[in-house]
Amino acid sequence: MADGSIARVFVFYARLVRRAKRTKVFAVLCLLPVLLALILRASALASPDRGFDGLAIFGNIIIAFGLQFLVLILALFYGTSVVSEEVEGKTLTYITTRPLPKRAVILGKYAAYVLVLLILVLGSILAAFFILNADRLDYGPAWSFLGKSLAALSLGVVCYTAFFTLVGTFLKKSVLFGFFFGFGWENIVQYFPGSTQKFTIMHYLKSLLPGVGDTGGGVLSFLMFRLEPSPAGTAVATLLALTAVFLGLACWVFARKEYLFDEG
Amino acid sequence: MPIAEQGYTHWEGRLDTHRKPWRPIARLGIRLAFRRKFFKFVLGMAFLPALIFSAGVYISERIDDFREMIRNADRFLNINPDFFKAYYTADYLLFWMLIIMVLAGAGLIADDLRHNALQLYFARPMRKRDYLQGKLFTLSFFLLLLTLVPGLLFIVLKLIFSGSFKLLADYPWLPFSIAGWSFVAAGFFSLYTLALSSLSRNRRYASILLIAVYFLSDIFFGIFFGIFRDPTFALLSIKSNLQQVAAALLGAKPPFAVPWGYSAAVLAALAVAAGWILNRKVKGTEVIK
Amino acid sequence: MSGVLKAEKLGKWYGNVLGLSDVTIEIGPGITGLLGPNGAGKSTFMKLLTGQLRPSIGAIAVDGLPVWNNTDLFRRIGFCPEQDAFFEDTTGREFLTGLLRLSGFADAEARERAARALAFVELVEAQDRLIRGYSRGMRQRLKIAQAIAHEPEILILDEPLNGLDPLSKRKVIRLIKEYRTEGRTVIVSSHVLPEIEALTQTIVLIHQGKILAQGDIHYIRDLIDAHPHVVAVRSSEPRRLGALLVGDSAVQSISYGPAENLVTFATRQRDRLFGLLPKVVAENGLDLEEITSPDDNLQAVFDYLVGK
Repeated sequence: MADGSIARVFVFYARLVRRAKRTKVFAVLCLLPVLLALILRASALASPDRGFDGLAIFGNIIIAFGLQFLVLILALFYGTSVVSEEVEGKTLTYITTRPLPKRAVILGKYAAYVLVLLILVLGSILAAFFILNADRLDYGPAWSFLGKSLAALSLGVVCYTAFFTLVGTFLKKSVLFGFFFGFGWENIVQYFPGSTQKFTIMHYLKSLLPGVGDTGGGVLSFLMFRLEPSPAGTAVATLLALTAVFLGLACWVFARKEYLFDEG
Repeated sequence: MPIAEQGYTHWEGRLDTHRKPWRPIARLGIRLAFRRKFFKFVLGMAFLPALIFSAGVYISERIDDFREMIRNADRFLNINPDFFKAYYTADYLLFWMLIIMVLAGAGLIADDLRHNALQLYFARPMRKRDYLQGKLFTLSFFLLLLTLVPGLLFIVLKLIFSGSFKLLADYPWLPFSIAGWSFVAAGFFSLYTLALSSLSRNRRYASILLIAVYFLSDIFFGIFFGIFRDPTFALLSIKSNLQQVAAALLGAKPPFAVPWGYSAAVLAALAVAAGWILNRKVKGTEVIK
Repeated sequence: MSGVLKAEKLGKWYGNVLGLSDVTIEIGPGITGLLGPNGAGKSTFMKLLTGQLRPSIGAIAVDGLPVWNNTDLFRRIGFCPEQDAFFEDTTGREFLTGLLRLSGFADAEARERAARALAFVELVEAQDRLIRGYSRGMRQRLKIAQAIAHEPEILILDEPLNGLDPLSKRKVIRLIKEYRTEGRTVIVSSHVLPEIEALTQTIVLIHQGKILAQGDIHYIRDLIDAHPHVVAVRSSEPRRLGALLVGDSAVQSISYGPAENLVTFATRQRDRLFGLLPKVVAENGLDLEEITSPDDNLQAVFDYLVGK
């Protein structure tokens, strides 16, 4: 689409989502890792004899919370919103009566939402990292730790949002299905032994996490319980391929489906 | 000729003290929920624990016949307060109750806000409390179907299968505890759902909030408990607080070493906060600046 | 490019429900009114025309090009949908400018076009207010503005006068007539005959998903006038009222009952009868409790036209 239609859609929705009230609510939700980090840091300062490993806490807690909850819930809402929001709000007509290829609508809106989510999630995770590791910023491995975590979260946002975008194009009860998938299937099957866990997106995201297989008995090592990680390169390629497939299918469905508004 | 104001006006006439205007609202809400095919499926799934536990009641009277099958399952086959606690605090049941709340409850107020229906409600002889009562009853109806009805059914089945009143003789307060807990759970969840539903005109957004707040509270508990190993952090989790209160009301041992009164206080505080939100958000008119 | 819309044996059904059946029609430049009762299939036709729906059978094309999934056509088509829906948290100006940018106009041109469109629909004063705070008439005009902002040669308006007060209706009718300049095609749907009459002479009648008739509105008017209207009057002295009016040429026949105080007049000169009735009542000191015209609606006209 050399005519820039995706970019036009992207700019249109980026402006809309920036000022939406719910973006502000989700921004507050994304501050929770920062709040958590502050509380834990304050508690460590209050009890210095307790021992405080900011990096371990960051890796086990922040990532667990960020990946297994925050990314899922945000991707679920924003991903399903790509199409469902326009159908429920009956504004789809304004978009589909513009000289825009239908796939540009999906891709442009998806890109706008992913950008917002990346800013919210990565911003808060970065802030939490600095709060928890303020005293060891000169420790090289901490930065590589951070880099891999941010990569896992970013790919989580990208891939899950793509999946939920696809779900939103053809299912009316997209939130409920997404909930069963994200908090049911993904949360359970990722702990299945053998190849079964490869049928979850979470498996590939966790394969990218730092310290995989080397938990040293961290307090939340259940995160890595039964994880038989895929090589990092395979994980990234699979996630990107899945994203492309989900988005391709979403574009295909959107171009062919008729959307009827509820008259009620 | 003076032209009278033709817009919606609030009812200023005398209100009949014997009215129950919340009833049509509740009836409509229940009927609309049942119209959705997927909702019937979800309600059916939510009854699975009740079916399984009912089978447990039957098996408890035929232990010898089923001995081979139920080795190590004694916990589920002694019909005592722990049996009821196991049912009421099961993750599966709470999960499906959450789904019911999302399906039947997320749009209860959100849809009215979206379609500007509140003006229509309050242009009739109806107070805010009648409207809220109607909505609360709609959701409580389904939640009580999953809590009160199965609990009382287990008692009835046990009495029938055992042919004696021993259960009631041993635990005479049990039916009242079941009723008490059911109303506490249904009331709390209904207020929680309606408060979040009133925060948005978008049912989908309300659904996400319902799910997010519930799971977030549990995740926070998991994180803090994982680090500090202090059961007091159970007070952060809606699920854990409900399990604490359920166990206490049913005369069973609470799952966490925290006074159950604290959990009750947390739930009460959340209920009050929900009531405050509802009072603010449910209005006949909206001022647009 | 001539802005000609052509439907060929077009049909659409929703499951078992028929929306449109065997519609073959050609609409060219000028204003064409699409007239039909509620549920006749007008909106279905509009949605097929604008690619919101895919035909179940047959074809629909603009200048020979199929509409479904042909989004390039929307450089030349403007559509004002029936539903009252907007991006509520934007201002009127932002809404228009955003949609114009989506249509491919550069920022400066989008702003200029938005300003012109807002001036055209007389929304300049409210352009920086949130749409959430707009009245029904303002929202309807904004919908028209977004349909015309890119100056399309084909304008399709689905029930643009719905829910408007009489003053706003006059405004919108004037706007639509102003928009129709040489060569432009405008299609307007409505279920109210006088609204269509105020806009155009060329109408298409649609009924139960089929095209009933197409042509000059005078033909329809003549058919309506040829069909006697029924006017029912409730009075304490129905027979005296009937006796006073029976001699007038406007009254074709009179019947009494079934209620005691009811008299029913059949007339081919409805306007004359309505002018005469209050005069006779006032001059003779009669009282009137109620006047109704049971068949004074488009459905009755259509029932007559289809021979019911």
